[in-house]
Amino acid sequence: MATTSRALEVTVISGEGLRLDRRRPVKKNAFAVVRTNSRISRTTKTDIDGGSYPTWNEKIVVDFPSQARFLTVEVHCKTYSGEKIVGTARIPATDFAGGYFPDNYLHFLSYRLREDGKGERNGIINLSVRVKVPENRVSATMCSGGAVPWMGGPLAVEGCSSGVVTGVPVWHRYKY
Amino acid sequence: MAVAYVKKRDGSLEELGRTEVIMNCLDPAWIEKINVAYQFEMVQLLVFHVYDVDTRYHNLPVKIVTRQSWSLTIKLHNKNGHASLRNLGTITVHAEETIASRNAVEIKFRCSHLDNKDLFSKSDPFLRISRIVESGGSVPICKTEVVNNNLNPIWKPLTLTMQQFGSKDNPLIIECFDFNSSGNHVLIGKLQKSVVDLEKLHKEKMGVNFILPPSRHRAHEKVLKGQLFVDGFSEKKLYSFLDYISSGFELNFMAAVDFTASNGNPRSRDSLHYIDPTGRLNAYQQAIMEVGEVIQFYDSDRRFPAWGFGGRTYDGSVSHCFNLNGSASGFEVEGIEGIMAAYASALHNVALAGPTLFGQVINTAAEIAGRALSCNNSKYFVLLIITDGVLTDLQETKDALVRASDLPLSVLIVGVGGADFQQMEILDADNGQRLESSTGRIATRDIVQFVPMREVHGGQISIVQALLEELPGQFLMYMRSRDIKPLDANAAPLVPPDQGHPYPIDKSSEYRISHEA
Repeated sequence: MATTSRALEVTVISGEGLRLDRRRPVKKNAFAVVRTNSRISRTTKTDIDGGSYPTWNEKIVVDFPSQARFLTVEVHCKTYSGEKIVGTARIPATDFAGGYFPDNYLHFLSYRLREDGKGERNGIINLSVRVKVPENRVSATMCSGGAVPWMGGPLAVEGCSSGVVTGVPVWHRYKY
Repeated sequence: MAVAYVKKRDGSLEELGRTEVIMNCLDPAWIEKINVAYQFEMVQLLVFHVYDVDTRYHNLPVKIVTRQSWSLTIKLHNKNGHASLRNLGTITVHAEETIASRNAVEIKFRCSHLDNKDLFSKSDPFLRISRIVESGGSVPICKTEVVNNNLNPIWKPLTLTMQQFGSKDNPLIIECFDFNSSGNHVLIGKLQKSVVDLEKLHKEKMGVNFILPPSRHRAHEKVLKGQLFVDGFSEKKLYSFLDYISSGFELNFMAAVDFTASNGNPRSRDSLHYIDPTGRLNAYQQAIMEVGEVIQFYDSDRRFPAWGFGGRTYDGSVSHCFNLNGSASGFEVEGIEGIMAAYASALHNVALAGPTLFGQVINTAAEIAGRALSCNNSKYFVLLIITDGVLTDLQETKDALVRASDLPLSVLIVGVGGADFQQMEILDADNGQRLESSTGRIATRDIVQFVPMREVHGGQISIVQALLEELPGQFLMYMRSRDIKPLDANAAPLVPPDQGHPYPIDKSSEYRISHEA
């Protein structure tokens, strides 16, 4: 179980305040690229007239390898002189996987985009992420308030070192 | 005949309305309905008097509790409040939300021939819609997004709820501004139309010209070439806050109290933590009482987590999230009175220390809210933080708030005492920027409401009202964005799942509109 990858449902929703060369706002033709590692990437459609506040609302399903610690989202812009990268956001996997959130929770997230070179701030990207849990895993929870502790299915959680840690959440009898 | 009154703070009764008289009947069922404006942020005490032609009977104050059946039956008491020896009968009150408040309109605006206000490019227009209030001024109710470099902009559809515009005949002021990143947006033009007028514009496919009000250079107003069109107009129904509550959704109340030394020694009369033997409540007690008093009705089990922060507990170390009840295992107390008792006893057992850090309390509350999600999504959590001082860990608090911003949680912060709370206003993103964490993550929504206590003392509204006003909105924003419906709703969704960003990118939070002369 430790080396399987999970399917991530990423909906790239919109961008805000995108600029080229630090001054001029992006006029049109922005699109986003979602990467899990240098080889796997998926691209959204181009927003022709959204300007510096483009909207995509595009759902992308990517395979997220369990060793991966970040999901990278890049915003590009097609200009006369070619394609430019407007900014990048690196989303730590801990923001949408692991922790106390239930499986299949729809996370609405927003991140600051930074230019690759100098790391300057350049706009915001809004997206939603949901970890798709396969059918054979125990993920549904019945919180009846009874006294039985509930054992969750194993969840692969990235460790700080290069290894992989498998966490098994154990549910206490919470009153909630 | 029955007469309904609302009991005001000073005990006086104000009549809300009366039913018709039914003659010669011991089991009257009145037809006449009385309208009451529901205000979440106040406990509204209703008193019902039942009159006979000759004699009078009335009952005790009835608190409106939104119950599943929307009905309440109570025994009538005589004038002195005692149940008399004779059975005086009962009165059944049935309440329902008037349908009108679920109405909303979705409008698609477009403009043509707008004036150019930018030097080297074209204007970046956006619209701001305001409602005229009784005092004559206007209150902004919503804004469109900004369209860059375009004198013929088309905006995304805008949703206006009846709560926002009042009635369809109310005049609304629509202003078109040119966006400037400095915050000094320039007015391109304005006009005044009601929702009914906008509907007509849509039907007739007509445009209406913008006007520039009189200024220093010009004594009269000028009619501009720029026009406003309504390309789309549709009415929608949205589930209301009460729809959710009456179907079983709950608000879970949590409280956190500041135990830092800046409050002053609790034994001294000047201390913010001084417990007055005459029974006068100190600022902390007041805040807990007033907020808790409203929210407790929406919490079914009345068990509230309560913590203190910044104090030195029995083991000698300073804790930034210790159980107020002093217990090692459970952080819950029973009822508002339980919080007050735990607070009073904690003052004896905990030494005031410092510094003022919110991060841990917010993280603990967020974890509780997050874990509850696995059971069901009908619980919404409200954390009340009462503090006297300025934060020492602004970034850590921002981090905790950003992490919590996608959870069913709202954080209400009350500032007591005389400190300068300007820093706290940053956390309450009402007129500021979206919070940003140290990892680059940005808050999904604004979950903070901050009010300094001294600002509302002596004013017409109480601190509770100022704090709680935004709560139903924050609750609805969370539920609607996830298409979570009231529990028994088996009809088709009233609002199709949002296609766009669920928390409307209200770039208004990044604007500071300069008021044109």
